[in-house]
Amino acid sequence: MKRLTRFLTGPLGAVLLIVVLMSLAMVVAGVSPLDGFSALITGALGGRNEIGETLVATTALLFPALGICLAFRAGLFNIGAEGQLLIGALCAGALGAAFTIPGPLGIVLLLLAGALGGGFWGAIAGWMKARFDANEIIATLMLNFVAAYFALELVSGPLKGPLAAGAETAWLDPKYWLPTLLPGTRLSIALLLALALAIFLQWVLTRTVFGYDLRASGEAPEAARRSGINIARLTWLALTLSGAIAGLGGATIVLGELHRFNTQLSPGYGFTAIAVALVGDLQPLWICLAAFGFGILESGGLAMQASAQVPKDAIHVIEGLIIFVLAARRYVATRVEGGPV
Amino acid sequence: MIELLVTLALLTLIKSTPIIYAALGGVMSERSGVINIGLEGMMAAGAFTAVVVSFATHNPIAGALAGVAAGACFGYLLAFAATRFKVDQIVAGTGINLICAGGAAYGLVVLFNQPGASPQVASLGSGYWVLIVGAFAIAIALQWILYRTPWGLRIRATGENPSAVVSAGLNPLALRMNAVVISGALAGLGGAFLSIGELNLYSDGMTAGRGFIALAAVIFGRWNPLGATAACVVFGFFEALQYVLQGQVAWLPANALQALPYIAALVALAGVTGRVRAPAADGVPF
Repeated sequence: MKRLTRFLTGPLGAVLLIVVLMSLAMVVAGVSPLDGFSALITGALGGRNEIGETLVATTALLFPALGICLAFRAGLFNIGAEGQLLIGALCAGALGAAFTIPGPLGIVLLLLAGALGGGFWGAIAGWMKARFDANEIIATLMLNFVAAYFALELVSGPLKGPLAAGAETAWLDPKYWLPTLLPGTRLSIALLLALALAIFLQWVLTRTVFGYDLRASGEAPEAARRSGINIARLTWLALTLSGAIAGLGGATIVLGELHRFNTQLSPGYGFTAIAVALVGDLQPLWICLAAFGFGILESGGLAMQASAQVPKDAIHVIEGLIIFVLAARRYVATRVEGGPV
Repeated sequence: MIELLVTLALLTLIKSTPIIYAALGGVMSERSGVINIGLEGMMAAGAFTAVVVSFATHNPIAGALAGVAAGACFGYLLAFAATRFKVDQIVAGTGINLICAGGAAYGLVVLFNQPGASPQVASLGSGYWVLIVGAFAIAIALQWILYRTPWGLRIRATGENPSAVVSAGLNPLALRMNAVVISGALAGLGGAFLSIGELNLYSDGMTAGRGFIALAAVIFGRWNPLGATAACVVFGFFEALQYVLQGQVAWLPANALQALPYIAALVALAGVTGRVRAPAADGVPF
């Protein structure tokens, strides 16, 4: 019984659930699950280009998911990764289009600009929380909307590229483009950066004093405060770093994938990343695996929509349900296995 | 000038109404101890369902009722997860938001075969004034219920100290269930107002964060129905102001202006905290 629950409430259970729910979504849309899944899998992993696109989506999800992980571990619900990612991308895209810096240094500076921009956006919520005890969930959510309109204003006016049709900046000079990882695809070395960041974050969380303080203030804030941890400082620091990681991700989308800033660059990566972080059990290394799984859904979902006419939005419904089930899973597991609830 | 002020006042009433419904739902839920981050999704569910039913029956009143029912269903889902499974309410609410927004987008394609927006359906027409007046009436009624009836006292007690409610021989989980289902129903009605009251269709993302603004209004209004309603009118005013300014003042940045209600909510959030206190057991599973 214990084994069975562990199996069903673990990652394999999550995969099983995804398969069942996806089949249901396909049947409702009038498509046989067999056709739907073959479209999804071929679309996500069927060839070099498809794998490239899946890993591009994996990378785009991994950065904000790692940022969210850091904040969640500190007990701070950062639901604003979407806005932080957008601001990071905007900073990198706007500065890259405006200034000429030698190539490699330029890339580093633009990535840094993205991290600073996203960090600043996270810091606003962090400052509001630390200074005024303002609810960080609502603050980060509101900042998503402010970021979206702010970016739209800038790139439809002063920052709009001279030849751009929509709300976009000018193209970046190719010297700022991130080197390609998989030749012939859009996959850049941003993936390696994200993986390195995940390993680093795992180390920080489990092996450093800062990581310990972070987890302590998340799991037992009162005890943390009494043991001398400066909660206010930790709060704004955690939200700033969380935003910086998401912002860095935004910058890599601009430098590695699109080569210019566009207000439509994120199809809700910042929100899907919440599901990624939770499925990854808020452990950076598991989050990498979860990001790959959701990367398959994201890129395969597009193919499934095109070739099998199953609306891609079904995937968001499934993500929501997964979040739900995972949230209930701990309770079910402890109930069956005994021990404190 | 007078005309402009009248327009602004009317538009403020119209723009406040959906947020008021959602915020009243937020007050109910949080007073019972459940944070309802899913208000946004419940509004979307209400808005979309109202359009579907109005499309099928050509009866907008049936549509509005269906919107209420859809909101209540998702309220039930959150309530069930929060009371029976003791899930993290923020996480569950985020899940509901994804399910509802994605579900509506999926439904647009499956039911109407057109992504982005539904076809036009029968709307409430001038009947939407009933809903506008109704928002304020329900606010007054809820204020009375929460502070003047035994049931209201029980709900508030559940949000402050559920163990005390148990010692009084009542079931706090059942009380939370009721409060959160009502919360969803109100958010659903707010959504229905958006889709078949103000407009006559559902379009993707039409709730535009109103459920989240409502949460800010709950805090700004100190967790009581009339306070939250007043806060919603303030946020509604900024939304209306943005529309009026856009038409009148050409040199103002049109896109940045749309951020006005969200910035107002942020400022309100930072401004009131420290001087307000949430229900003691708000967000704590029991």
